[in-house]
Amino acid sequence: MIFSLLDELLIFSAATVLVALILGRGLAVGWMVTILYGGQLLVLLKMAALGYGGNPIASELSLSVMGQDLSWRFDALSWFFALITLVAALLTSWFSCGEWERKFKQQGGNVWLFHLAMALNVFTMLILLASGDLLSLFIGWELVSWAGFLLMAVAGGVATNAAIRYITYAVVGGMSIFGGIALVYAAAGSLQYEAILIAVEKMSTGQLWMLVLLFGSGFGIKMGLLPFHLWQAAAYAETPGPGSAFLGAISSRMGLFAILLVLVKLFGIVNIDSLKIPFTLIDARDLLAWIAVFTIIFPTYTALKQNDARYLLAWHGIGQGGYMLLGLVTANSLGAAGGLLHVLNYAACQAALLMAVFAVMHRTGAADLNKLGGLVTRMPLSFLVLLTGIIGLAGLPPMNGFVSKWLVYRSLLEDGMPLLFLGTIIGTLGTILSVYKLIHNMFLGQLRVEHEHVREAPWSMMTPMLILAGVIFVTGLLPGIPLTWVAAALQTIGLTGPEITLGGIESSSGSLDMIWVIGVLFAGFGIGAVIFYSAGPSKRVHQLDNYAGGHFLTADVRYQYSDNFYSGLMHLIRGWYRGSFQWLENSITSLVEFLSLGMQGIYRRANSEFYLLSTALFIIAWVVF
Amino acid sequence: MNNLVLTIALPLLGAFLLPVLMRLSQAIGLWLGPIILGYGCWLLGNLWFSDISLPLSIAIGGFDAPYGINLYLDSLALLFAFAVQLLGLICWPYALNQDTARRQALMLLLVASSTGLALSGDLFNLYVFYELAAVATFGLVAASTTSAAYAATFRYLILSGIGSVLTLLGIALIYSHTGTLNLAHLAQLAPELLHDRLGMTAYLLILIGIGVKAELFPVNAWVPEIYATASSRLSGFLAGLLSKLALLIILRLLVLIFDQPEAVQIVLVLGILGVISGEFAAWRAKDMRRMLGFSSIGQLGIIFIALSLPDERGLLALLALSLHHLVIKTGLFMLADGWGGSLERLTGAAKRSPVGAALFTLFALSLVGVPPLPGFWAKFTLITELAAQSEPLYLIGLLVFLLATVIETSYLFRIVAKLYSSAETTTNQPEHQNMPGLSLATASLFAITLLAATVLIAPIGDGLQAVAAEAKNAELYIQTVIPATPGGQL
Amino acid sequence: MAPIELLIELTLMPLIAFIVGMMMVLMMRRIAAKIQRRIGPPFFQPLYDIVKLHGKRTQVSHGLIHDIGIVMAMGGYIAAETLLPVPGMNGIAEKGGLITLLYLMMIPSLGLALGVGQCANPNGSIGIARALTAMLAYDIPLVIVIFGVAYAAGTTNLVEIIATQQAGGFATWGVVEMPLLAIAGLIAMHASLGKQPFEIYIAPAEIATGPMVEMSGKYLGGLFVMQCFQLYTTSVLYVSLFLGGGTTWFDFLIKSFLVLAIPVSIAYLFPRYRTEDLLRLMWKWPVMLGLIGLAFVM
Repeated sequence: MIFSLLDELLIFSAATVLVALILGRGLAVGWMVTILYGGQLLVLLKMAALGYGGNPIASELSLSVMGQDLSWRFDALSWFFALITLVAALLTSWFSCGEWERKFKQQGGNVWLFHLAMALNVFTMLILLASGDLLSLFIGWELVSWAGFLLMAVAGGVATNAAIRYITYAVVGGMSIFGGIALVYAAAGSLQYEAILIAVEKMSTGQLWMLVLLFGSGFGIKMGLLPFHLWQAAAYAETPGPGSAFLGAISSRMGLFAILLVLVKLFGIVNIDSLKIPFTLIDARDLLAWIAVFTIIFPTYTALKQNDARYLLAWHGIGQGGYMLLGLVTANSLGAAGGLLHVLNYAACQAALLMAVFAVMHRTGAADLNKLGGLVTRMPLSFLVLLTGIIGLAGLPPMNGFVSKWLVYRSLLEDGMPLLFLGTIIGTLGTILSVYKLIHNMFLGQLRVEHEHVREAPWSMMTPMLILAGVIFVTGLLPGIPLTWVAAALQTIGLTGPEITLGGIESSSGSLDMIWVIGVLFAGFGIGAVIFYSAGPSKRVHQLDNYAGGHFLTADVRYQYSDNFYSGLMHLIRGWYRGSFQWLENSITSLVEFLSLGMQGIYRRANSEFYLLSTALFIIAWVVF
Repeated sequence: MNNLVLTIALPLLGAFLLPVLMRLSQAIGLWLGPIILGYGCWLLGNLWFSDISLPLSIAIGGFDAPYGINLYLDSLALLFAFAVQLLGLICWPYALNQDTARRQALMLLLVASSTGLALSGDLFNLYVFYELAAVATFGLVAASTTSAAYAATFRYLILSGIGSVLTLLGIALIYSHTGTLNLAHLAQLAPELLHDRLGMTAYLLILIGIGVKAELFPVNAWVPEIYATASSRLSGFLAGLLSKLALLIILRLLVLIFDQPEAVQIVLVLGILGVISGEFAAWRAKDMRRMLGFSSIGQLGIIFIALSLPDERGLLALLALSLHHLVIKTGLFMLADGWGGSLERLTGAAKRSPVGAALFTLFALSLVGVPPLPGFWAKFTLITELAAQSEPLYLIGLLVFLLATVIETSYLFRIVAKLYSSAETTTNQPEHQNMPGLSLATASLFAITLLAATVLIAPIGDGLQAVAAEAKNAELYIQTVIPATPGGQL
Repeated sequence: MAPIELLIELTLMPLIAFIVGMMMVLMMRRIAAKIQRRIGPPFFQPLYDIVKLHGKRTQVSHGLIHDIGIVMAMGGYIAAETLLPVPGMNGIAEKGGLITLLYLMMIPSLGLALGVGQCANPNGSIGIARALTAMLAYDIPLVIVIFGVAYAAGTTNLVEIIATQQAGGFATWGVVEMPLLAIAGLIAMHASLGKQPFEIYIAPAEIATGPMVEMSGKYLGGLFVMQCFQLYTTSVLYVSLFLGGGTTWFDFLIKSFLVLAIPVSIAYLFPRYRTEDLLRLMWKWPVMLGLIGLAFVM
């Protein structure tokens, strides 16, 4: 048998799992695994033709189980997601090597299990991305879910509870998809994509609705779409540092990948568009778009309230998923490209941000935003990475997040969807507010007494962070590079990308050229710097040497403004946080509890013999009369 | 071919001789049972790999069917007969004292009667073996001498007794109407004589009666208490196998005699109710064995749903689910040997028994149906088949099945989380039960089976498909037992 | 376009903006003086101020980010001016468009926020928190307005938006076609300038001028420059969106100064709102007006 490149990749990935499993208790396993991720990335890069519209690469492996044919293959879409996955894995694993690992072990963590879980996550994600039919997609999906569960549960304690909550949600999603698959199979008689495409054309509206709901909610749970988002923040935030960065970067996006494949490619946007909700003006596509917008707004403003840096970022992760879905649901060339590009951009930002937060946590032991401050003087490089990340996350120029969000905004403008547009802007503003809170409370303001001797994060952590910061900037400066891959990926699901230039896109109704924008921006900074620095030297003073408006700040009582950061805003909107989703979840749990009690009651009763007899009597009576 | 009879006769003989021989020599007493069962396994295993063309019917006592007694051996029966002997060997109460002599004898009796249940070709023999099995279980359950066990046994006794009476009543009805009890013969007569209200009544009576052993809702109230008090090995045997044998009888009845939509629908409805009640009750269970008992009810409910499916793929699902449940549940009960009692005590148990915890997780994963473990394929076959039915009731079955899986995951993985939890409850540290080595080894055996099945899923699937096709073929059954009458009429 | 020509435009546009911005500061002070019955400063006072501030001998820095913040505050606006077309010069407006301009205008605020954060003064931090809250307040109506205009014009290219209005004459000006949006835009613009009654983040009596509290010398000078640019950018943007831009420098400047005069005049008549009142006001009236206006456009 001749192995295709895809086989090589999967075997490489499986080998990584084995190395982590067998040698995981030895020395320097982190480095070994990291190098292996690098190897996987190299194999993936050998497939780079896929990103430029090359033909799909099939795996030599195919199975037939109980009459079902299973096959695996890679196309441009898979390649795009796999690229993000592997880069994220490589850099987060790199981050974990050396000092982080040592500290993790000291704190009673299980390094072996951690690396194993990471390798499993990567491997299962690749399997999912390589799926060639609906059944292998589901198998990959379940594997990813459970691998994620393992990684989330590694830390124990609070993390376990979060992981259990996650897996309950994930299984609900999985079963919803499973049911959908059963219905598809009943309708198409096969789970091969070609057969399904034909069957979809013949489906009734009711059937299609059912399938859209089943698959949509199933995949949506993984993405943390409303109202299934509650599990995500805690589950991601409590995962050990690098794992958290990895999950935050890519894990949820597997849901988007599946949505693209099933809802967009198989069912088709046009078909979904034709599904009207009775007695209203909206159809299934609008429904998805609105879910996306609410997924942007609610989690983002929940993030604004968080006082733990990890939770703040994790909540944003949920919100950013909304932009991606929204862009893809608009399905015009700009929006779809923006949505898909945002997957990459966001992954880079989120990984960088979480790494920076965990680097600070590594040095100070705190992620509580009320217990940090002023660290910019102690950890300037981490600050730089965090700054790059928040600019990207908030979607401001010159970082990459701006490009993808710009594309989404433009597509909404073009389609004339003002309320959706407004929703995205509200989300972006919320993001700006909360990321400023993040950077201010961690790095700006007053340095605490106990942090006066904190050092910059070690180079084993700093290097991957800086690489990510570089990625964020370069993909912002030259968005044409990733956009080409995005366009190729869009083609595989039947959408067309925009006209691409190296610096952005070309469009009759308004172009974007980031090279120029960033060029003038930095020229502006240059002029500003000339004006500023030509004005003579300034004297550096101690942080406590400042104006206190009649009060004196002493060296032992530090005063960092961090708690209830946006008090004026919260004064108005505090009442709007009602916890409705939490309430919903609680009431479902109570319902299950109640039913469970009732069922146990049935079995606890001693008079079941009575049921039996009465049933028998009833039957006999039925015969006689 | 008369060797086949030995698989029933030898354990039966052994059961009566064992108490006597035990007095003569401990060694004989110790080794007799395993030897008999081992021989049975070898015999049946040989049969599987020999080139005898299945199915075949063996007349006992010189008279041909339908007048004589016959054993019917097709792949399905062979599979179950083999499983009985093997599981009997695995769940054997290995111990060396006078007290276990009685238990060993009863176990042999149980194996003999169970093998009979798998092989019998007529209703009366089925009833007799069924009663024998019931008697054996009464004795075995009562062997654990706690007051709770007595209460549970008493309850089981009453339910089982009523069940027997109902079954007998049903059989009597059939006999009074048709004049025969041979299954093949009944199959020929059924379309004329039994597809009416009376036949339906007989079916219902038998269903409810046999359903007691098959953990059918609502006659399964004995399950949690018995499993909570009986020894884990016995519970494993009961939940894993005996329930499936009762199911096999119902399957034969459905395929051969009561091939009517109403008959199937009742099974479906009761199955759905079983799933709902079992899984929900398990969700709150505070005790390992009770939880396994409730979960077993739920799983059997799912198997009943599969039983109600009309065609071959449905039967394939049924087989796959049954065998899967057999392996998993018995394995889990083996683990409950060390981890019985309150779930609270399991906190941090993975530290003390990492292998046990790993096995529990593996079983739980497969039970939930995580691919590529075999449980997934069983469930996949079931749901695709359910979705293919036009009757809306099947869709409800599908929905309930999916819901049940979610609940199952929730409670099983709460336990897994507890096993791996590092927070030791230091205040009221209960006595740590150590996992008995034998149970652990047995459970490992099941786990290895499971993993082997994962790898060999494609050939196993094909094999089961063939078994299902054969078992679903009523015409073949009739032809095999009564070959003289092509076309059906006597 | 020849590169030299473009380079000249790119240099001229910020320079003009700076000069006009200084005149706008002067106008603002003169209006304030008129209302308060004072004489007001001389013509070159803004320039004197900037030179004076940059020439101070004591310059207090709180760290590198403090410096960089000021550079970003100035540089962001300098860059933004090249995306804002003026009569005869388009700069790189066609390479960015309206949305890019809006986002570039956030860079100075971000720079300021970072710089103030580094100062480690709680008053400054409170000021920034309030400033960002204010941004959340006025950006929502502003975005509705921008959306309406861009949608009605069918483009986000400012050059085209202006050209369409000029080609159709007064009747096609945004203010005529979309009066409600124009009103909403005016209110939002007023708030974005941070003048009374919306000066919640300066609030000298409460938080000692908030962001400016640690700024002295060239730092305050930088902020002064930033204010010049801010006044210019805001009013020119409004003119471009609703008043047909400028065909000649004359009417362009007239319009810009007039537009700015409205909020400035109002500013000196009102006291300050509380933060939550600002939010409530912004989210109620201009949003409502904007949405109704938008409904007309769609």
